[in-house]
Amino acid sequence: MSPDDPIIRMEGVSKFFGDLKALDHVSLSVASGEKVVIIGPSGSGKSTLLRTINQLETIDAGRIVVDGFDLTAPSVDICQVRTELGMVFQSFNLFRHKTALQNLTLAPMKLRKTPRDQAEREAMALLEKVGIAEKADRYPAQLSGGQQQRVAIARALAMNPKIMLFDEPTSALDPEMIGEVLEVMLRLAREGMTMVVVTHEMGFAREAADRVVFMDEGKILETGHPGTFFGNPTHPRLRQFLSQIL
Amino acid sequence: MPKEEKKQITIIEVGDGAAIPVKSDQGLVSAWWLAFVGAILCMAGLVIFKSDPYWRILKFLPDGILVTFEVTFASIGLAIVIGLFTGLGRISPNRAINLVASTYVEVVRGIPLLVQLFYIYYALGQFYAIPAMAAAILSMSVCYGAYMGEVFRAGIMSIDWGQTEAAMSLGFSRRQAMFYVILPQAWRTILPPVGNEFIALLKDTSLVSILAVSDLLRRGREFASSGFQYFETYTLVALIYLVITLILSRLVGEMEKRVGKYESR
Repeated sequence: MSPDDPIIRMEGVSKFFGDLKALDHVSLSVASGEKVVIIGPSGSGKSTLLRTINQLETIDAGRIVVDGFDLTAPSVDICQVRTELGMVFQSFNLFRHKTALQNLTLAPMKLRKTPRDQAEREAMALLEKVGIAEKADRYPAQLSGGQQQRVAIARALAMNPKIMLFDEPTSALDPEMIGEVLEVMLRLAREGMTMVVVTHEMGFAREAADRVVFMDEGKILETGHPGTFFGNPTHPRLRQFLSQIL
Repeated sequence: MPKEEKKQITIIEVGDGAAIPVKSDQGLVSAWWLAFVGAILCMAGLVIFKSDPYWRILKFLPDGILVTFEVTFASIGLAIVIGLFTGLGRISPNRAINLVASTYVEVVRGIPLLVQLFYIYYALGQFYAIPAMAAAILSMSVCYGAYMGEVFRAGIMSIDWGQTEAAMSLGFSRRQAMFYVILPQAWRTILPPVGNEFIALLKDTSLVSILAVSDLLRRGREFASSGFQYFETYTLVALIYLVITLILSRLVGEMEKRVGKYESR
């Protein structure tokens, strides 16, 4: 793999839910270090697209290559590939029976056999980074939504992934908590992490994205630099969508 | 599609192990206390004021109580193991495993326990005789394993699928996710109904008395028929079963209260 090769390459990806075509021959490449923001109306397939990248959704046609691994090859060890893909969910999905710290240490200790003290040290550093170290011993139910999502981001980072996937990370949050999560994401973006983000936060897209992708009815309709994308949208569906949400 | 974080509300069908406590049961004079104190006083009264034959009967029964507990504990232990695998099989994405587990549950639930006991001891005994005690434990655990399988399945399914997805996104396999993330959470939902199954099983062990296993009921029968004192013997046998299950149902109730949420630790 040459350094110029994209770290994620999707070619002609299709996905059906019964008769519904969720993804319709979608092709998308993401370069290492690039931040791609995917927007679109509900049911446009943007979350499905994101979830195919770590194979939480399997695909019916096409090809996805992540960091040199062909995900459609029968020989691929998907668990191995997933350790390189951090994922942040809309509903946080923190392990409810584990403290914040234990949420971070579980995967490194069980999957990488990292010794406990080292795993805990690294976990504390990550919790520090997302500004929540003082809540390390709290259970998820004792944390606010914003705090839970920051722990979830730290948990995804604990396996040192090369790519971070965000699936509407602020959609389940009360408005006053969105800022603290976006701040963490912006910091991550500035540090050079490769990020694919599905979101309705256009402010984040403007500020952090190298490229914005608009999806509707399972297709990518428009792709562009945020400046031209928001300043001069060409596709009528995108214009309509932007006028509705802005 | 923003969705609220779902509160985990789980309803697992309660078996016939214990009465479901309702608000009005909470007072000092509850049905439980009435039954418990009544049963104890009744037993004490009979033994003290009419020690012949009641004291003689009472002395005759402890061996049977021991056997009843032996059958109960051995069966519940096996049933929990069978139930765990059945529950996992019932939710397995593998069609074949799923079908085997589901068929087992359907078949066992459709045949009365008494018939299963006869079948394993007498019918299969024609080809390969096994000791009565072993036949009893085998029948009880095969039967309750099926019911327990449903308890495990419901408990596992009560855990949000997002937990599995989160574990898999970190690199855990499905099996690892089940082991490290789902089961440690599901036991809180599973424990109370398992307690109820335990009580139901203890009562159902009285059926094994027909296989020449000397449990509480069988010992009672032996005593009763030797002296034709049916009323006296079966009164005591019934009271002993009642006291045991009342104590156990209380324990299950306490357990249910304590199995709280994670933040309350």
